[in-house]
Amino acid sequence: MTKIYLVDSRVKRMYTFFTVIVVILFVIATVLTRFNPFEVVASSSEVWNFVTTDFLPPTLTKPVPIFNAIITTICLAISSTFVAAVMAIIAAMFGSESISPFPKYAKLIRAVATFLRNIPPLVWAFILFSSLGIGTGVGFIALVISTFAFMTRAFIESIDEISEESTESLLVVGASFPQRVFQAVIPSCLQDFISWFLYCIELNIRASTVVGMVGGGGIGLVLFSYLKTFRYQTAAGIILIIAVTIILVDLLTSFLRTRIMQND
Amino acid sequence: MTEIALLAQDMIPAVRLCKKGKIKIKDPAQDRDLYLFLIAMIVISVLSFFPLDINWFKLVSRVPDIGIMFGKLSRLSLHHFDYTLIAFVETVSITILATIYSFFFGVLFGALASKNLIKNRWVTTLLSSFFTFLRAVPTPVWVLLALVCLGLGPIAGIVGLSVHATAFFARAFSQSFEDVPPEVIEALEVTGASKLQIFFSAIFPAALSMIIAWIGMRFEINFQESAILGMVGAGGIGFAITTSLQGYQYGVAGLAILLVFIYAYAIELLFTTIKKKFIW
Repeated sequence: MTKIYLVDSRVKRMYTFFTVIVVILFVIATVLTRFNPFEVVASSSEVWNFVTTDFLPPTLTKPVPIFNAIITTICLAISSTFVAAVMAIIAAMFGSESISPFPKYAKLIRAVATFLRNIPPLVWAFILFSSLGIGTGVGFIALVISTFAFMTRAFIESIDEISEESTESLLVVGASFPQRVFQAVIPSCLQDFISWFLYCIELNIRASTVVGMVGGGGIGLVLFSYLKTFRYQTAAGIILIIAVTIILVDLLTSFLRTRIMQND
Repeated sequence: MTEIALLAQDMIPAVRLCKKGKIKIKDPAQDRDLYLFLIAMIVISVLSFFPLDINWFKLVSRVPDIGIMFGKLSRLSLHHFDYTLIAFVETVSITILATIYSFFFGVLFGALASKNLIKNRWVTTLLSSFFTFLRAVPTPVWVLLALVCLGLGPIAGIVGLSVHATAFFARAFSQSFEDVPPEVIEALEVTGASKLQIFFSAIFPAALSMIIAWIGMRFEINFQESAILGMVGAGGIGFAITTSLQGYQYGVAGLAILLVFIYAYAIELLFTTIKKKFIW
């Protein structure tokens, strides 16, 4: 019986190739970490015990400092995103080859952004903590660095995508660099910029919690201290508050994003 | 100039003139929301500086110290390189295992949470809100909890990462499944195909390119997350970086950070080429 092949044999071979690679990686990783999923399943009753007796119900013993800490975390996220956005817009203007006044050096800005971006925020935080000491200000700088790198890259991409023709036509009629920026780039990319800004706020609410855990202050530090001193019920309460805050921020940003995009 | 403008105003009712007699090229009402939003954003951002208890002068004056730190880190040292390498391999293994396990759970729960597959509204809503909660709690918190339950070592890292990644995949995959046009499902339903057959021969293949893109994205995130796990107490390269920084062995830390950077950059390049070649 001859069959008609539904899938191109080359595509099929490619999928087989990828599957084999994944299986090999899986086996190697399992051997190296000695991870046995059945062990986890076997200890599930202990996990259940821990959750029901130590963890639940979530309580809040000192609501006021916890509330203050969550305000600090939110403010840290917003202010660092704002500073990073201002820096990133300027950097992106010089880093995009299509509009930069010094196109030769545009690659340099890109390279710096790539370097800064590929090191996780928490590693930044640790480098900074060991040179500047711990504190909210140092967490602020760590967040600014990683957000700046991410946004610069995103902004450069939106500028390159949208305004090639409009900037070129302005260049032809002899517009200066600031004129090109304010007449072509800003009007056509502003919505994209705002959308990325909102996305970075979402990311940074999470990141500022995590950076806080290792010494940046805010709700992360409070949670970490409760976990380290085995007061799990309060920790559960704080985790709930963090989750609710993040969900609310996500809802707000997605609402704002649809509003801004509707304007088009 | 003005006459032409007036003429245009007579011929086309939509044309409005400014005081100087020029044709308006912008409708002020059009961008009002946008400007309102921008102003509100700037005000909130400026206000958000006040509750922060930061000594700005001291902070700015110490910024040059970061340069000195980089000078110290850049003097790479091969001291204890074998330990660094083992930690790095452990981190990569954690990333791979967490991605694979959460992929399978993600497909399962993503299918159960997509509205075009499961007709029971209660199930889909309950599942998607549960995963929204799991996703909202940052990964290191899950890892810390897994550390408490399962003890130290890579197992806690894998489990903690998988919890967050599964929630991520479930959400992303169920969206991709729901994007499959209903005609495709209907066409299979009339031939009498079962739910499983519909899923594996229509929905999953149709969503495959999206799924690969999501896996690529999550693999990058998972590596970043597992690189920092060591800093909250699980093993891996993060632990190596922290201990060497705290022990003033800056050269060792510098090499470990460089390793993280090279790997993350290589993965990024790999997935951009895969995306260009095979998907779009």
